[in-house]
Amino acid sequence: MADPIHLEYEVAADDYQAAGAASNSVKETLKMLGVPTAISRRAAIITYEAEMNLVIHGGGGKIVANIDEKSVELMTIDEGPGIPDVEKAVQEGFTTAGDRAREMGFGAGMGLPNIKRNADVFEIFTEVGSGTTLRTVINLP
Amino acid sequence: MASVRISEICAEIGARVYSEGDMARAVERAAVGDLLSFVMGSDADGAAWITVQTHLNVAAVAVLKDIPVIIIASGREPAADLTERCQTEGIALVSAAHPVFDICVKLGRLGISG
Repeated sequence: MADPIHLEYEVAADDYQAAGAASNSVKETLKMLGVPTAISRRAAIITYEAEMNLVIHGGGGKIVANIDEKSVELMTIDEGPGIPDVEKAVQEGFTTAGDRAREMGFGAGMGLPNIKRNADVFEIFTEVGSGTTLRTVINLP
Repeated sequence: MASVRISEICAEIGARVYSEGDMARAVERAAVGDLLSFVMGSDADGAAWITVQTHLNVAAVAVLKDIPVIIIASGREPAADLTERCQTEGIALVSAAHPVFDICVKLGRLGISG
Protein backbone atom coordinates (compact mmCIF):
# COMPACT_ATOMS: atom_id res chain seq x y z
CA MET A 1 0.00 0.00 0.00
CA ALA A 2 1.62 3.19 -1.15
CA ASP A 3 -0.17 6.20 0.29
CA PRO A 4 -2.47 6.16 3.28
CA ILE A 5 -6.14 6.18 2.34
CA HIS A 6 -8.53 8.65 3.88
CA LEU A 7 -12.28 8.14 3.60
CA GLU A 8 -15.11 10.26 4.98
CA TYR A 9 -18.81 9.60 5.17
CA GLU A 10 -21.66 11.83 6.32
CA VAL A 11 -24.39 10.04 8.25
CA ALA A 12 -27.72 11.81 8.75
CA ALA A 13 -29.80 11.58 11.93
CA ASP A 14 -32.70 9.12 11.77
CA ASP A 15 -31.75 8.03 8.25
CA TYR A 16 -32.22 4.30 8.70
CA GLN A 17 -32.41 3.83 4.94
CA ALA A 18 -28.85 4.94 4.23
CA ALA A 19 -27.26 3.06 7.12
CA GLY A 20 -24.88 0.41 5.88
CA ALA A 21 -23.48 2.52 3.06
CA ALA A 22 -20.31 3.56 4.92
CA SER A 23 -19.64 0.09 6.30
CA ASN A 24 -20.10 -1.46 2.89
CA SER A 25 -17.71 1.04 1.35
CA VAL A 26 -15.08 0.44 4.07
CA LYS A 27 -15.41 -3.32 3.59
CA GLU A 28 -15.09 -3.04 -0.20
CA THR A 29 -12.08 -0.72 0.06
CA LEU A 30 -10.26 -3.11 2.40
CA LYS A 31 -11.12 -6.04 0.16
CA MET A 32 -9.70 -4.15 -2.81
CA LEU A 33 -6.50 -3.52 -0.83
CA GLY A 34 -6.14 -7.23 -0.18
CA VAL A 35 -6.78 -7.01 3.57
CA PRO A 36 -7.76 -10.45 4.98
CA THR A 37 -11.51 -11.06 5.12
CA ALA A 38 -11.54 -11.59 8.89
CA ILE A 39 -10.15 -8.09 9.36
CA SER A 40 -12.35 -6.36 6.80
CA ARG A 41 -15.34 -7.96 8.53
CA ARG A 42 -14.25 -6.53 11.87
CA ALA A 43 -13.90 -3.11 10.28
CA ALA A 44 -17.32 -3.46 8.65
CA ILE A 45 -18.98 -4.39 11.95
CA ILE A 46 -17.37 -1.44 13.73
CA THR A 47 -18.43 0.94 10.97
CA TYR A 48 -21.96 -0.41 10.80
CA GLU A 49 -22.52 -0.12 14.55
CA ALA A 50 -21.00 3.35 14.43
CA GLU A 51 -23.35 4.34 11.63
CA MET A 52 -26.30 3.12 13.63
CA ASN A 53 -25.10 5.03 16.68
CA LEU A 54 -25.02 8.21 14.61
CA VAL A 55 -28.47 7.50 13.18
CA ILE A 56 -30.07 6.59 16.52
CA HIS A 57 -28.20 8.62 19.14
CA GLY A 58 -25.71 11.10 17.75
CA GLY A 59 -28.00 13.32 15.72
CA GLY A 60 -25.98 12.38 12.66
CA GLY A 61 -22.29 12.95 12.17
CA LYS A 62 -19.24 11.88 10.33
CA ILE A 63 -17.33 8.63 9.93
CA VAL A 64 -13.66 8.85 9.06
CA ALA A 65 -11.47 5.94 7.99
CA ASN A 66 -7.70 6.15 7.76
CA ILE A 67 -6.00 3.12 6.29
CA ASP A 68 -2.26 2.61 6.06
CA GLU A 69 0.07 -0.36 6.01
CA LYS A 70 -0.10 -0.91 9.74
CA SER A 71 -3.67 -0.26 10.73
CA VAL A 72 -7.23 0.74 10.01
CA GLU A 73 -8.37 3.69 12.08
CA LEU A 74 -12.12 4.29 12.23
CA MET A 75 -13.52 7.40 13.88
CA THR A 76 -17.05 8.66 14.37
CA ILE A 77 -17.58 12.27 15.22
CA ASP A 78 -20.91 13.76 16.24
CA GLU A 79 -22.18 16.88 17.88
CA GLY A 80 -25.01 15.05 19.61
CA PRO A 81 -26.04 14.89 23.26
CA GLY A 82 -22.86 13.17 24.49
CA ILE A 83 -22.69 10.13 26.75
CA PRO A 84 -23.21 10.87 30.47
CA ASP A 85 -21.82 7.53 31.69
CA VAL A 86 -19.40 5.87 29.27
CA GLU A 87 -18.81 2.87 31.53
CA LYS A 88 -22.52 2.11 31.46
CA ALA A 89 -22.79 2.75 27.72
CA VAL A 90 -20.24 0.07 26.88
CA GLN A 91 -22.02 -2.51 29.05
CA GLU A 92 -23.82 -5.14 27.03
CA GLY A 93 -27.57 -4.69 27.28
CA PHE A 94 -27.55 -1.05 28.31
CA THR A 95 -29.43 1.16 25.87
CA THR A 96 -31.13 4.52 25.63
CA ALA A 97 -32.62 3.83 22.19
CA GLY A 98 -36.25 4.68 21.58
CA ASP A 99 -39.14 2.49 20.46
CA ARG A 100 -38.60 3.00 16.74
CA ALA A 101 -35.01 1.78 16.87
CA ARG A 102 -36.00 -1.17 19.03
CA GLU A 103 -38.82 -2.22 16.73
CA MET A 104 -36.32 -2.38 13.90
CA GLY A 105 -34.05 -4.68 15.86
CA PHE A 106 -31.64 -2.03 17.07
CA GLY A 107 -31.20 -0.64 20.53
CA ALA A 108 -30.38 -3.92 22.22
CA GLY A 109 -27.37 -2.42 23.95
CA MET A 110 -24.95 -4.32 21.76
CA GLY A 111 -23.54 -1.61 19.52
CA LEU A 112 -20.64 -0.31 21.59
CA PRO A 113 -19.80 -3.78 22.99
CA ASN A 114 -19.70 -5.10 19.41
CA ILE A 115 -17.39 -2.25 18.43
CA LYS A 116 -15.13 -2.80 21.44
CA ARG A 117 -14.90 -6.53 20.78
CA ASN A 118 -13.73 -5.97 17.22
CA ALA A 119 -11.23 -3.18 17.90
CA ASP A 120 -7.61 -3.34 19.08
CA VAL A 121 -7.85 0.24 20.31
CA PHE A 122 -11.15 1.64 21.60
CA GLU A 123 -11.44 5.20 22.87
CA ILE A 124 -14.41 7.44 23.57
CA PHE A 125 -14.11 11.19 24.01
CA THR A 126 -17.44 12.66 25.04
CA GLU A 127 -18.94 15.70 26.63
CA VAL A 128 -22.58 16.02 27.57
CA GLY A 129 -24.17 18.65 25.35
CA SER A 130 -21.23 18.86 22.94
CA GLY A 131 -20.90 15.49 21.28
CA THR A 132 -18.92 12.31 21.08
CA THR A 133 -15.87 11.12 19.21
CA LEU A 134 -15.23 7.41 19.05
CA ARG A 135 -11.82 6.26 17.90
CA THR A 136 -11.01 2.67 17.10
CA VAL A 137 -7.98 1.05 15.55
CA ILE A 138 -7.57 -2.39 14.06
CA ASN A 139 -3.99 -3.51 13.65
CA LEU A 140 -3.10 -5.11 10.35
CA PRO A 141 -0.98 -8.26 10.29
CA MET B 1 -23.37 -31.64 8.64
CA ALA B 2 -25.03 -31.42 5.24
CA SER B 3 -24.50 -28.90 2.52
CA VAL B 4 -27.93 -27.90 1.22
CA ARG B 5 -28.74 -25.78 -1.79
CA ILE B 6 -30.82 -22.68 -1.23
CA SER B 7 -33.29 -23.97 -3.82
CA GLU B 8 -33.77 -27.15 -1.76
CA ILE B 9 -34.36 -25.09 1.38
CA CYS B 10 -36.97 -23.05 -0.48
CA ALA B 11 -38.76 -26.19 -1.64
CA GLU B 12 -38.72 -27.66 1.89
CA ILE B 13 -40.26 -24.62 3.54
CA GLY B 14 -42.56 -23.69 0.65
CA ALA B 15 -40.91 -20.31 0.33
CA ARG B 16 -42.05 -17.42 -1.76
CA VAL B 17 -39.00 -16.00 -3.50
CA TYR B 18 -38.57 -12.23 -3.61
CA SER B 19 -34.94 -12.17 -4.70
CA GLU B 20 -33.32 -15.12 -6.44
CA GLY B 21 -29.72 -14.55 -5.38
CA ASP B 22 -27.75 -17.71 -6.09
CA MET B 23 -30.22 -20.55 -5.64
CA ALA B 24 -27.54 -23.13 -6.51
CA ARG B 25 -25.35 -22.03 -3.63
CA ALA B 26 -25.22 -24.43 -0.70
CA VAL B 27 -25.28 -23.58 2.99
CA GLU B 28 -24.36 -25.74 5.94
CA ARG B 29 -25.51 -23.57 8.80
CA ALA B 30 -28.40 -21.36 9.80
CA ALA B 31 -28.75 -18.53 12.28
CA VAL B 32 -31.80 -16.96 13.89
CA GLY B 33 -32.11 -13.40 15.13
CA ASP B 34 -34.22 -10.28 15.00
CA LEU B 35 -31.76 -8.05 16.81
CA LEU B 36 -29.50 -6.81 14.07
CA SER B 37 -26.55 -6.14 16.36
CA PHE B 38 -26.87 -9.63 17.78
CA VAL B 39 -26.62 -11.13 14.31
CA MET B 40 -23.76 -8.76 13.47
CA GLY B 41 -21.87 -9.89 16.54
CA SER B 42 -22.60 -13.59 16.06
CA ASP B 43 -20.78 -16.08 13.87
CA ALA B 44 -23.55 -16.09 11.28
CA ASP B 45 -21.08 -15.58 8.45
CA GLY B 46 -22.14 -17.52 5.39
CA ALA B 47 -25.21 -18.97 7.14
CA ALA B 48 -28.87 -18.87 6.15
CA TRP B 49 -30.53 -16.20 8.30
CA ILE B 50 -34.05 -16.63 9.64
CA THR B 51 -35.72 -13.48 10.94
CA VAL B 52 -39.04 -11.67 11.21
CA GLN B 53 -37.46 -8.30 10.41
CA THR B 54 -38.47 -7.04 6.98
CA HIS B 55 -36.83 -3.64 6.56
CA LEU B 56 -33.93 -2.45 4.47
CA ASN B 57 -31.27 -2.73 7.19
CA VAL B 58 -31.61 -6.51 7.10
CA ALA B 59 -29.81 -6.37 3.73
CA ALA B 60 -26.99 -4.28 5.18
CA VAL B 61 -26.32 -6.92 7.84
CA ALA B 62 -26.55 -9.73 5.28
CA VAL B 63 -24.03 -8.00 3.03
CA LEU B 64 -21.58 -7.45 5.89
CA LYS B 65 -21.90 -11.02 7.12
CA ASP B 66 -21.81 -12.62 3.65
CA ILE B 67 -25.19 -14.17 4.31
CA PRO B 68 -26.40 -15.78 1.05
CA VAL B 69 -30.07 -16.25 1.97
CA ILE B 70 -32.51 -14.41 4.22
CA ILE B 71 -35.61 -16.35 5.25
CA ILE B 72 -38.44 -14.21 6.56
CA ALA B 73 -40.69 -16.22 8.83
CA SER B 74 -44.40 -16.18 9.69
CA GLY B 75 -45.42 -15.07 6.21
CA ARG B 76 -44.22 -11.52 6.72
CA GLU B 77 -43.58 -9.58 3.55
CA PRO B 78 -40.25 -7.86 2.96
CA ALA B 79 -40.30 -4.12 2.34
CA ALA B 80 -39.95 -3.19 -1.32
CA ASP B 81 -36.57 -1.52 -0.72
CA LEU B 82 -35.28 -4.64 1.05
CA THR B 83 -36.25 -6.77 -1.94
CA GLU B 84 -34.62 -4.32 -4.30
CA ARG B 85 -31.38 -4.19 -2.31
CA CYS B 86 -31.17 -7.99 -2.09
CA GLN B 87 -31.63 -8.23 -5.85
CA THR B 88 -28.83 -5.70 -6.37
CA GLU B 89 -26.53 -7.51 -3.93
CA GLY B 90 -27.31 -10.98 -5.27
CA ILE B 91 -28.72 -12.18 -1.94
CA ALA B 92 -31.62 -14.63 -1.94
CA LEU B 93 -34.62 -13.21 -0.06
CA VAL B 94 -37.52 -15.52 0.62
CA SER B 95 -40.56 -15.61 2.87
CA ALA B 96 -42.23 -18.65 4.36
CA ALA B 97 -45.60 -18.95 6.07
CA HIS B 98 -44.19 -21.09 8.92
CA PRO B 99 -43.07 -19.53 12.20
CA VAL B 100 -39.36 -19.39 13.02
CA PHE B 101 -39.32 -22.59 15.07
CA ASP B 102 -40.97 -24.67 12.35
CA ILE B 103 -38.52 -23.39 9.77
CA CYS B 104 -35.63 -24.34 12.05
CA VAL B 105 -37.04 -27.85 12.48
CA LYS B 106 -37.36 -28.26 8.72
CA LEU B 107 -33.84 -27.00 8.09
CA GLY B 108 -32.55 -29.28 10.83
CA ARG B 109 -34.16 -32.25 9.09
CA LEU B 110 -32.29 -31.30 5.93
CA GLY B 111 -29.09 -31.64 7.93
CA ILE B 112 -28.38 -27.95 8.43
CA SER B 113 -26.82 -27.15 11.79
CA GLY B 114 -26.63 -24.05 13.98
